[in-house]
Amino acid sequence: MKPRTFSTFSLMIAVIMLLTACGDSGTPATAPTNTAPAAAATQPGPAGATDVPATSAPSGNKTKVILTTWAGADEAKELQVVIDKVNASATDFEIVHQPNPADYYTKIQTMIAGNTAPDLMWLSQEYVANYADNGAVLDLTDMLGKMSDMPAAKLDDYYPGTLEVARYNGKLWGLPWIAAPVMLYYNVDAFQKAGINPPDESWTWDTFKDAAKKLTVKDASGNVTQYGTSFNGWPPVHMFIWQAGGEVLSADLKSSPIDSSEAVQGEQFYKDIVFSPDYAVPEAVIKEQGFGEMAKAGKVAMFFGGAADDLDYAHAKDPKNADLKIALVPKGPKSRTTFAYTAVTVASARTKNPEITTKALAALTDGIHHWKVLAPRKSLATVDVISASVPGKKDSAPIIIKAAEDMRGFRNVPRQAEWDTIFWESFQDLLYHDKGTAADLAKTARPKLEEVLPK
Amino acid sequence: MTDTGSWLGDYALTLSHWLLVAGAVAGAVLLTYFLLTKLGVKRESATGIALIMPWVLGFLIFSLFPFLASFYLSFTDYNILRPISLEKLPPLVGFRNYVYAFTEDPNFWPSIRLTLLNGAIGIPLGMAGSLFTAMLLARNVKGVGIWRTIYYLPAVLPAAAMALLWRWMFNPSNGLINTILSPVLWLFGWDKPGWFTDTNLVLPSYVIMGMWGIFGTTTVILLAGLKNIPSDLYEAATIDGAGKVGQFRNVTIPMLTPTLFYVLVTSMIASLQLFTVALFIQTPRSAGQFLNVYIWQQAFGAQKMGYASALAWILMVMTLILTLLVFRSSSLWIYYESEVRQEKPPGARKRGLFGGLRATQQASGAEGTVGGGH
Repeated sequence: MKPRTFSTFSLMIAVIMLLTACGDSGTPATAPTNTAPAAAATQPGPAGATDVPATSAPSGNKTKVILTTWAGADEAKELQVVIDKVNASATDFEIVHQPNPADYYTKIQTMIAGNTAPDLMWLSQEYVANYADNGAVLDLTDMLGKMSDMPAAKLDDYYPGTLEVARYNGKLWGLPWIAAPVMLYYNVDAFQKAGINPPDESWTWDTFKDAAKKLTVKDASGNVTQYGTSFNGWPPVHMFIWQAGGEVLSADLKSSPIDSSEAVQGEQFYKDIVFSPDYAVPEAVIKEQGFGEMAKAGKVAMFFGGAADDLDYAHAKDPKNADLKIALVPKGPKSRTTFAYTAVTVASARTKNPEITTKALAALTDGIHHWKVLAPRKSLATVDVISASVPGKKDSAPIIIKAAEDMRGFRNVPRQAEWDTIFWESFQDLLYHDKGTAADLAKTARPKLEEVLPK
Repeated sequence: MTDTGSWLGDYALTLSHWLLVAGAVAGAVLLTYFLLTKLGVKRESATGIALIMPWVLGFLIFSLFPFLASFYLSFTDYNILRPISLEKLPPLVGFRNYVYAFTEDPNFWPSIRLTLLNGAIGIPLGMAGSLFTAMLLARNVKGVGIWRTIYYLPAVLPAAAMALLWRWMFNPSNGLINTILSPVLWLFGWDKPGWFTDTNLVLPSYVIMGMWGIFGTTTVILLAGLKNIPSDLYEAATIDGAGKVGQFRNVTIPMLTPTLFYVLVTSMIASLQLFTVALFIQTPRSAGQFLNVYIWQQAFGAQKMGYASALAWILMVMTLILTLLVFRSSSLWIYYESEVRQEKPPGARKRGLFGGLRATQQASGAEGTVGGGH
């Protein structure tokens, strides 16, 4: 290449460099309306999470707050309507939604590692303690305390069992935006044919088990044409342990008393039913035909599902779906505690404007509480609010509200993923596949579980 | 995360970043050229070296740096949720990650076992099937071009699509495989096998699924190898009274060994690195996991990036050792014509497994230029 050609090329490069240098606006041109407040200095120590500012930049008078969720295309459209309303009434922030429906946690973890975390993100309950312990999310305790004029920041309005999943080490790391209690769905037609009264508040474990047996129907050649119930790891066995008065994790998170007599009672109840052809769908059949599909097709007389599953009015959308109704879960020896699938919105520990971000979080959470069923707040647990959110749930709303009184989420530890794996591999999987008694398996698994608990 | 507030601003910002990178790369090219010419390197050589700088930069940034970083991280307790910087590096733990993998991790050895067994069973079967298919496609029959195209199609299918397809084919109740098998199963009164759900059938299922690899790239490579075998070798073998089996054993296989060697090495590495398909198909945990999937789970599920890095390096060393073993064994079973020409007369030194072919070559006087073809 001739020197002249190279010189021309160099000049061109210089022009490009000059242009790109002008175009780089990584540093905000306008100062944020709220610069990092004192609250930022109070953030927890792990990993020095607050030493590098990261995310939002102002847009005009409003600070941009980036929100990342796992919402799919349809859900993202609905959420955008909620966000638009929140943005319209906000004076100092604007939420920008960036959905990441595929491989969500891999992506947000990579973003956190790369110091490009979004300001706000959704977390399923089992991730909260882990993210908090590693300094990835913002401690909201003090800031939310100062925003008690915002409806979603009034913590005493939340069902305690749902807010608990957002706490770790005595601090609050997020706000629950959904809490879907486990309900008992039942096929009206199957109950009528069997001459069994529909499930109600009088139902106990025994009533449920008897009904499941009676509702398992076989044809002349012995083939099952309808199963009484279906367990496939869902609902989590934890729910029955709680109902019997046991716990899988103690309140101080220091032990896993799954071998207590109460816990074993719950585990044994589950073991007796799961995959047993006398009561429930065998494992291979569930895997072949699908849990939800069998229910919709009317092949299962009753099963557990979340309040947000919308199966209670699935027949209204498609007449081919079985006519299912919703009931409270049967009562255990000690309580009718039901598991609540709970998800939380958290803020990144590296958000540039913690106060604005927290304010946006509270406003967004209130917006979502009027969109998703069930809002985890007592003041919003009304038939009117539920039917305004999902009209099809009008008939089921009173029962869902009743279930909400007994709902709770998991207790979680920082190494929750490992704890869950051990619980599954060393206990639950063996229990379901009849590899020992509940008491023996629990006794063997407990030390392994406790190895990963906080010391 | 930066956001200017308008789509035009966002676009300009993104474009500026791209241009900045392009400018930096171009600057590196120019700098390299000027430095080399100043050092007295010929202008032509300097231009060539300067023009490969984009690739060199890409390799340094996206391959070499992560490679070295993962080695360092394998000796740390790095959690992906805790961002690292030069000022705040993750704590060093020495060889703890490696020791834990070999001595304490209950999932490590089952993962190694499944990964190795899948390769040990699947690769020979796959290579035999590929060779058989390649021999069919090497025949000069009508429409062979179309057949070759059809048989290559699996190579262009995305791994995820392939995984979904096989998941359906192995579906116990309405999958293609059990539907085909159902008369036999009915005859013997056997239940339909739950391929990916039965712990004992997970490995066979993966091996069967791996047969899919018979078609596509491997077959095409072997086909090219077959077409490069000089026809006069077959003619000489025929004159010597060799039948089809004799020709296959004494001409085809020896002449194909360099290609088979290449296919073996690449198949082995691909088998050890199996990931996408294994990620898409859920199997019982007790059946074990492929090592690459386990690494991914440790990195992003348990967030133990340090431990995952150690596992990745164990996989790398394992791959290296196995590849070296195959290379070391090559002198025993690979036949290179160029070596024959340089060797002493037959009988002076017995080397390798294919004395028969040498005799055929001597008899035919074939120069046997690889690549001569038909």
